[in-house]
Amino acid sequence: MRVTPAEILAVIANKLFARPLPENVTPSIVSIIWDIRLPRAITAFIVGAMLSVSGAVVQALLQNPLASSYTLGVSSGASLGAALVIVNEISIPVVGTLMLPAAGFVFGLSTVLLVIFFSARLDRNLRNHTIILFGMIVSLFVNGMLTLLSSAYSQHMNRLVLWQMGSFAGRRWDHVGLLAVICFIGCIAVFFFNRELDLMSFGEEQSQAMGVDAKRSRLILLILSSVLTGAAVCFTGVIGFIDLAAPHAVRRIFGSSHKYVLPMSAVAGGSFMTLADLASRTVLSPQEIPVGAVTALLGAPFFLWVYFGTRRKR
Amino acid sequence: MKAIECRDLFAAYDKKLLEKGEAVIRDINFEIKEGSSVAVLGPNGSGKSTLLKTLCGMIPQKGTVLIREKDSAGMSRRDIARNIAYMTQLSGIFFSYTVFETVLMGRYVHSKSAFGRTTAEDKRIADQALKSTGMEELKDRQLSSLSGGELQRVFLARTFAQGSPILMLDEPNNHLDLKVQAELAGYLKDWCAQPEHTLIGVYHDIPLALELADSFILMKDGRMKAMGSREEILDGGLLEETYGFEVRSYLGRIEKLLK
Repeated sequence: MRVTPAEILAVIANKLFARPLPENVTPSIVSIIWDIRLPRAITAFIVGAMLSVSGAVVQALLQNPLASSYTLGVSSGASLGAALVIVNEISIPVVGTLMLPAAGFVFGLSTVLLVIFFSARLDRNLRNHTIILFGMIVSLFVNGMLTLLSSAYSQHMNRLVLWQMGSFAGRRWDHVGLLAVICFIGCIAVFFFNRELDLMSFGEEQSQAMGVDAKRSRLILLILSSVLTGAAVCFTGVIGFIDLAAPHAVRRIFGSSHKYVLPMSAVAGGSFMTLADLASRTVLSPQEIPVGAVTALLGAPFFLWVYFGTRRKR
Repeated sequence: MKAIECRDLFAAYDKKLLEKGEAVIRDINFEIKEGSSVAVLGPNGSGKSTLLKTLCGMIPQKGTVLIREKDSAGMSRRDIARNIAYMTQLSGIFFSYTVFETVLMGRYVHSKSAFGRTTAEDKRIADQALKSTGMEELKDRQLSSLSGGELQRVFLARTFAQGSPILMLDEPNNHLDLKVQAELAGYLKDWCAQPEHTLIGVYHDIPLALELADSFILMKDGRMKAMGSREEILDGGLLEETYGFEVRSYLGRIEKLLK
């Protein structure tokens, strides 16, 4: 269905400011724009913003430009939670369609907490490499369980795989509302720590020497970024590369100071995700490509360019 | 006024080890007067760096540390950082900031507003700190484009910008060429000229320590072997005993080679 920009503006003006609709705009066009495409585009933007902001935070905390919340196991945990709901065909009347995201969120967050708990038990100082190592171990373990599940319940494999690839299809305004609230609160809370993030990117010892309560700030920020990623992933599935690539691109353009990196990551990640979703919907239209495949196909070469570009500079 | 005082101080990197009595540094007692410059000397692994971290309250410890005559046990990280600016050993740079942004980070401990905006006062002090390490020309450069010596001067400027009356340095002239080492010693001497400034440094370079410090703490195997003036540690072979090596005859040989 083709819709012109003028029609889009007319529909938005009608909905937001109660301006009269032109005659050529039929109710089905209104419905396509207002009920299907707009909530989908906004969901993509918010999810992209949440993923990149949490990516920027985890990179600074772990002093590792290759890290993201996915490193801490959010995505594998969320996938396992979703898989359990799918294979058990659980549906609770009141929770309804929110059952899948709720399970994804709870499992994603629990996985990170597990990673932090194990790391803290083994290494009281909660050092970066311990967290990364445990994140990887727990992710691998959880992925193993996921593989076991999907092979045991092969009749659900299709749905599982589709969920993991991520998609924005069928997002409605109530998703947008919920995500927007989590995104707004999470991003503001993270922004409160913008100077601590700058200092902590020099390592725990140096940040402490400059007066940062590094252990406390790190724990709060790890949880905040996991909540952001968990909320994003549980509504849309696992979409990779934006969380890594957007903060990188932003750092190259605006420098490393987090008072710019955080808001610009949100804007860049959101825009990139919206474009990727547009591509996923239109390139092979009427067939949809999974958006995770689009971000990975565009993101992987971009990431190589960033990595080797930085190395050459040194 | 006493800048630092510690009594019966034990410390380890793990609380459990400390409780089991396997401390890295043991039974440390000393006082450092305000305005003095103290060098901590000793062989590798003798606990010099650990001592600095312990004084800053960064690792598990038993005993008492008084910072400017106040018990550090009740102090927050912020309180400690307002009193002690501690420059750690040089670490890797993972994210590149400009020189000025980096030096401004030293002002964190004085920030009041919620989102931590920097004030005109912060900028003035950061500029001053850059000047006192000869880095004002490179203010807008990226850290990733600097040499090791320039980087060390940026970190020194950041430590100065913190504005704390006590400065602690951990091997500040590691990896630096001789000219930069001499310049660094100059900046530190200038800083020490203020009567309320106290400098505590861990040095591997004994000539530098002799040049900068007026009193010396000798560490060996996690214990404090002695504390004293230059004459006290040079007389009677204390320095040689600490290092297990003929320090002065070695340095003397080098001096002869240079003639």
